[in-house]
Amino acid sequence: MSTAISAVNLRKNFNNIEVFSDFNFTAEEGKITAIFGPNGSGKSTLLNILSGVTEKDSGEYKIENFNLLQFSYIFQNYRESLLPWRTNFENVALPLEIQHKTKNEIKERVAELQKIFELKINWDGYPYELSGGQQQILAFMRALVTEPKILFIDEPFSALDYENNLFLREHLQKYYLSFKPTIILITHNIEEAVHLADKIVVLSKKPTKIIDVISNSLPYPRTIQSLKIEEFHKIKDKVLTAFQQVTNL
Amino acid sequence: MKKYIIIGPIVLILIWAVVAKLQLIDKFFLPSPWVTLVELWKLIITGSILPDLFATLERVIISFIIAVILGIPLGLWLGRSEKFYRSLEFVIDFFRSTPATALFPLFLLIFGITDNSKIAVAAFASMLIIIFNTAYGVMQAKKSRVLAARIMGASKHQIFKWILFWESLPQTFIGLRSAISLALVVIIVTEMFIGTNIGLGRKIIDSQITYEIPTMYAVILLTGIIGYLLNLLFSLAERKFLHWSGK
Repeated sequence: MSTAISAVNLRKNFNNIEVFSDFNFTAEEGKITAIFGPNGSGKSTLLNILSGVTEKDSGEYKIENFNLLQFSYIFQNYRESLLPWRTNFENVALPLEIQHKTKNEIKERVAELQKIFELKINWDGYPYELSGGQQQILAFMRALVTEPKILFIDEPFSALDYENNLFLREHLQKYYLSFKPTIILITHNIEEAVHLADKIVVLSKKPTKIIDVISNSLPYPRTIQSLKIEEFHKIKDKVLTAFQQVTNL
Repeated sequence: MKKYIIIGPIVLILIWAVVAKLQLIDKFFLPSPWVTLVELWKLIITGSILPDLFATLERVIISFIIAVILGIPLGLWLGRSEKFYRSLEFVIDFFRSTPATALFPLFLLIFGITDNSKIAVAAFASMLIIIFNTAYGVMQAKKSRVLAARIMGASKHQIFKWILFWESLPQTFIGLRSAISLALVVIIVTEMFIGTNIGLGRKIIDSQITYEIPTMYAVILLTGIIGYLLNLLFSLAERKFLHWSGK
């Protein structure tokens, strides 16, 4: 198992508030790493630094063989990042158009994802006609259509109802098992973290430290049934115990 | 709710009719709505107003087209760089705030007592509105969309073509609508005073001077109808092409 993403002695201040000081972090290739922590623990800041959206103050980070064309980042405010003047199909196709792919190739790739995500919508319609859940699935498809090697996901499920949430988790796993990208998933929901991740990194409040790293070897695909078994609850309890250390509860 | 739209005009015409009927204002200066509408009808079916109507429309459309051809690219270009826009902001705002008609004598000096000076001043005034709105539209683009495209590896050119241009369209359309209304105003005013025998503005002034008061009212009404229809045209186009706006 090789390290795909690493950060060493990362340091970042915002307006004299220390977010990271000597922060160290790794994520393994082809695995799903969940980052779990209280609000304001710098989860999004970490992804923004790793992806170059935000500048670090000092320290090092590295993504092996980084290539922007094989990297996708699903933002929290997916609704704003879809383009309302493009049809649903054209929205998913956008990253491929940016990469100058041919029409046929675009059609093929989108069709492949349509099969995985089973989203039954009017593809010639527009995103604003869709429900929030469908819009989020669309944003996922757009991010995955380039078959990224590295995928960052920032609280992807927070705006979804439980049914859509489970639907998306199931289909994200389906995609993951076919393409095996390295995924970093930010979440503030323990169940989500344990459901999807190989490894759960629990962060403290600022200045951010890693409180615990909990590994999770439950086999994929993890179904709704997996949420009910004892092993699942044991892992969830471990995460909760770590989380208790950083809150005042 | 659509049927309520008719209530305003009916009330206005009723008030007009009552005021005229009771002769609150001398009949000579305020003919009844009926007389005015009949006059308008006559002007149209005899065709005597058509040369004026077409002359005015031609001037308005030509000046609007010039304003669009120059204004949209300039606005897009200025909007791309906030520094650029800020350095020209005062100049644009200043001329936008200057009554266009005040500049007319200047344009007369440059273009002579011809149609060209009328068209130039209307085009200039409407162009400023288009520049201002288009540039603003580009600058107001949602940062999240631009960032998302950048993360996908989009070049500056692609971001402009696929994001910023589209983001600016709703604001550009607001500009186009105000611009065509302003072009109509400026053309009518310039027609009233200088260098033409033809045009609705000319017709209004002429009928006032010769005391053909019903004709004057009829033509005023006609200019209002044209202004309204032009606005309506843009509203419809907006609903068709910018169905996604604000979503």
